[in-house]
Parts: sequence; structure tokens; C-alpha cells
Amino acid sequence: MAEPMNAPQPAAPGPAPAAAAPRPAVPPKPKYPDPVYNTRNGRLLMPDNRYWPTDMWKNPWARPSYRKSAVILAAIALGGLAAAAAIGEMPRWAGVLWSVLSALAAKKGFSETAALAAWTVIKVLIVLHVVILTPIFLVWWERKISAHIQTRLGPMTVGGWHGWAQTIADGIKLLLKEDVTPNVADRWVHRLSPLVVAAPAILAFAPVSFGRDLSAADIDAGTLYIFAVAGVSVIGIVMAGWASGNKYSLLGGLRSAAQLVSYELPRSFSVVPVLMFAGSLNLTRIAAAQAGYWGGVVPRWFIFYPVVGQLSFLIFLIASVAETNRIPFDIPEAESELVAGFHTEYSGMKFSLFFLAEYAYVLLASCLAATFFFGGGSAPLAVLGFIPSWAWFIGKVLALIFCFLWFRWTFPRFRVDRLMDFNWKFLLPWSFANVAIAGGYLFFLR
Amino acid sequence: MTDYFKTVFSAASNTLKGLWVTLRYLFKPAITVQYPQEKLVPYEKFRGALLFDAETCISCNLCVKACPSTCIQLENATNEAGKKIAKVAWYSIDFGKCNFCRLCEEACPTKPKAVWHSLDYELVFANRDEMVRLWKKDFDYVGMYYDSKAKEYKKPEGQIPIQTTAARR
Repeated sequence: MAEPMNAPQPAAPGPAPAAAAPRPAVPPKPKYPDPVYNTRNGRLLMPDNRYWPTDMWKNPWARPSYRKSAVILAAIALGGLAAAAAIGEMPRWAGVLWSVLSALAAKKGFSETAALAAWTVIKVLIVLHVVILTPIFLVWWERKISAHIQTRLGPMTVGGWHGWAQTIADGIKLLLKEDVTPNVADRWVHRLSPLVVAAPAILAFAPVSFGRDLSAADIDAGTLYIFAVAGVSVIGIVMAGWASGNKYSLLGGLRSAAQLVSYELPRSFSVVPVLMFAGSLNLTRIAAAQAGYWGGVVPRWFIFYPVVGQLSFLIFLIASVAETNRIPFDIPEAESELVAGFHTEYSGMKFSLFFLAEYAYVLLASCLAATFFFGGGSAPLAVLGFIPSWAWFIGKVLALIFCFLWFRWTFPRFRVDRLMDFNWKFLLPWSFANVAIAGGYLFFLR
Repeated sequence: MTDYFKTVFSAASNTLKGLWVTLRYLFKPAITVQYPQEKLVPYEKFRGALLFDAETCISCNLCVKACPSTCIQLENATNEAGKKIAKVAWYSIDFGKCNFCRLCEEACPTKPKAVWHSLDYELVFANRDEMVRLWKKDFDYVGMYYDSKAKEYKKPEGQIPIQTTAARR
């Protein structure tokens, strides 16, 4: 038989090699076999369990996996609260730890001062790790929330359960990355600026009270200290922009100087009414001033003060988002305009220090908002008082951080001039008005 | 003054609307299909990898003529007397040329079809040899390819067919 009439195919096996090669043994096959589904590599989505992906939005509760996820989420929340209730208030454990430490010191013949120094080191390390480890969780959470807002899944592989170890792997990757300094960079300033950004972010956590009697340093002028120390980070950002020797970085640095200094004003003024009502700058005392309930139901949180509370909370929240350089106020690092703004030229651990500082400031802003407006560690209902204060505080902080993430994945970026307009023509006048209203309350109602 | 408050109100309400939309989508189930673990089965008329049944084929050459990209070749089988019979000796499809148009399946006169599209969208080829599928008398529907280096027929490796057999029309 001649070759077929169409064009010859070089790779087409003709009958000749068939004669040479031994014919492989092929098992006999059924005449009309049933469809064979591949189940080797997991689950095959058949038309009856899912046909078109958006079909599942019609009645999500009908799907077992959705119900399962809801149950898991509820179980995590309830389990966290139950664990918190079982652990109880933290100062008790701190007392136990301190007594063990002082007993040890007495046994070994060390002075009381040495024990006190060791105790301080432990406290500092705890706060430091709160600041350093929270971003690891926050990055994962942000990726999850952004993914689910876009009906994606986010990281799912690393670590097994919903990619929980993704950020840890990323952190290790960042540690191992090459540290690049551009030729035109100002070496010392370039090297110094991540520290200048990150160090105040950690220092600012000293007076934050994480619950009843839980603060590393109970400073009387705590609020002032936090705002002052956190303000230092702007210098680091400007340094980073300048030292990179890159026009985009410089623009980013300049923008951040303008933005952060401007938004510092309404942010501070929105807190003034809280300070007026609490009569103190101490965070612990501000939280304590909001203890108790009106009529036994509504907690005496500052956010429930009519008009003043809501107004100052909104101004504080908006200004805090701007202070932390997050979308919609991310013009210092605007990806589509400035590549990455002030941290364009940073790689590896220096870059991750900027990142750590950003998330640390998100955490700090949420801690402050929880303290100023949501009563710190006080329970929202008197009945729920058995759950310790630190659990309530963490819950409020997480809810506020969720707001930050939520805003980021909802709003587009501000234009530079609108950003300034919004601050100087809207937020600042209203924060002044707010202070005046608070003064009126204090003058007439007290 | 009223304009000012109107602007503020509309800006605030639009902001809240946007937040409400993203919050709603946050609690919708994700539509991601995690591909290697989950696989969607395509719709019924999907034109996946071609399958061939040497038992059914009558070697009529219609598919060869119908093919617009000349990717099909076949050769008649002969009986002991050297006379042509209505069976193929071999049948090959070059998936490097195939454009998955279903014209061969439509041209096929047998019932059920001797050549037809499966729902398999996971065709992967590591080299040119693998692109040419060959079928002989007792081969599977999936066929084999001729490895020109090893000088032997091999089953398509690394291929995980969604459905090795689609419903044959």
C-alpha cells in the first residue's frame, strides 16, 4: 500500500518500525466502556456538583463546604474566646512569673535589681515579638481577605491549612535575598533609613496597654509619646527617598513627607476630645475612663458619645489609614505612578523592615483606636465580663485591622492634590469643630 | 452650605456603598478551581484530545479527506491473500498540526464514531514524537506514540485524561 496522498509527515511512524519493535501487550478493552473519570489526583468536578463557578453564589448555604467553613470560622472565634476565658487575666501569670524570677534571684544570691532588670528584658522581648510577629499574621490575613473580596482563594498550599505558613516562607526568602545598594545611592543614609523607619514603630508600642495592667511602660504622657515617636518614621521615609538616588524614590519620599505631616494634624486633634473627656494622656487611664455601662446596657465607650465620638473616631480612622501609607492614601509608594516610591531601591531584609514598619503602624493605629474609642479591654456587654480584658482588646484590634484591609481592597488611590484638599479643607476643620463640640459638652453638661 | 453637606453626604454614602459591595463579595464562596486538585469537566461538545477506535474504523479515508490541516494518516489492512479489508493497519493523528475542529468526527460514517473528541484538555507534549499519536489493532483509544530515539511505542506519559472516553455520538 502506498503512502497516503496528503503531505508526508516526517515524524509519523510508518509500518516499518512497527515490524521492528515488539508490539506491547495491551489489555483487552470493553466494547462500549463507561466513562472513566480520573480520581488519581484529587476530586473531579462533575456537572452535577459544579458546572459554572458563579452558580455557587445563588445559594451558598446549600453547599456543604460553605457550611463547613462557617462552622470552622465560628469555632475559631469561640475557641479563642474560650481559651482566653480559661487562661484568665494576664497580670496573674505575670505575677507568677515575677515571683518565680525573684525567688530564683534570692536563691542564687542575686540582687533584687538584677531580677528587675531580667524582668524588664522579658517584658521588652514580649512587646518586641508582638510587634515583629504580628506582621507575619497580618500579611497572610491581608492576602486572604484581598483574595476573598475578589472571590479568589489566596495562598492555599504552604503549610497545609489555607497556606498559613506562606508569610513565614516569604520571610525566609526575604532574609536570604541579595542586599542590593544602587551605585548612585548615598550608602550610609540608604542603610540607615530602614532602621529609622522601623525602630520608632517598635518603640511606640511601649505605653500601649494590651489589657488590664498590661503595658510595658505605663507612661503618664503615653498618648503624646506615641504620636511623637511615631512621627519620627517620616524622617526615615524621606531619607529612604533621598538616599536611593532615584527620581521615583525621591518623589515618593517628598509625597510622604507632605502627606504624613499633614495627616498628623487631624489625627492628633481627633484625639483631643478623648483626652478632654478622660482628663489624662495615660492610655491605661483613658481606657479605665470608659469602663461601665449606661443603663447597664450601652458601654461607656467614647464612640457612643453622641456626635463627638463618631466624628472623632471617623477622623482618627481616616487619618490613621493615611498615616500608615495604605491604600487609598498610598501615594508615597503608588505602584502605578512611582514604581514603589521610597522603597523602590530596597531589597531583602531592608525592604521587609519597611514592610514590618507599615504593619506595625497598622497594629499601633488599631490599638490606639481600640483604646481611645472602644474602651480598651472592656467587654461590650456586662454579661461577657468573664472573658478577660486582653481577649477583648485583641478582638477589637483585629476588627479594626480588618477595616484597614477592607478599605485597602475597596478604594482606589487619591490624587495628590485631592489628598491635600481632603486633609486641610475637610478633616482638619471638622476636627477643630469636634474639639469645640466636646468643649461645649464639658462646659454645659458637666 | 447645603451644597457642601450634600457633597459630604453623597461622598460618604458612595463610600459606604463600595464597602458594602466588597463586604458582600468577601462572604461569597470563592470561584477558584484549584486545578491539580480539582478539575472542571468541560461542556458536552468540548473538542478535547481525539480518540480513535481501530475496531470500529472501516478505513474509508473520509476523515483524512475532511481534515483541513492534513494531520491524519492511515493505511488499510490486508488479509492473508493480500486483499484490502475494511480495517486500518495503522492510523495516526499529528496533534502538532491538529486544530481540533471536529471535521474528522463529523465525516466519520460509522456508528459509533471511530474517531471522536474526548473531554481531555490536558494534552501535554514534551517533544515532537509525542505529538504524533498512532493507533493499531489492539491499542487503547488514547493510542501510543513512537519514540524515535528509543525505537519503540510508548503510552502517552504524564497525561491524565479528564475522561478517557467521552460519550460517543
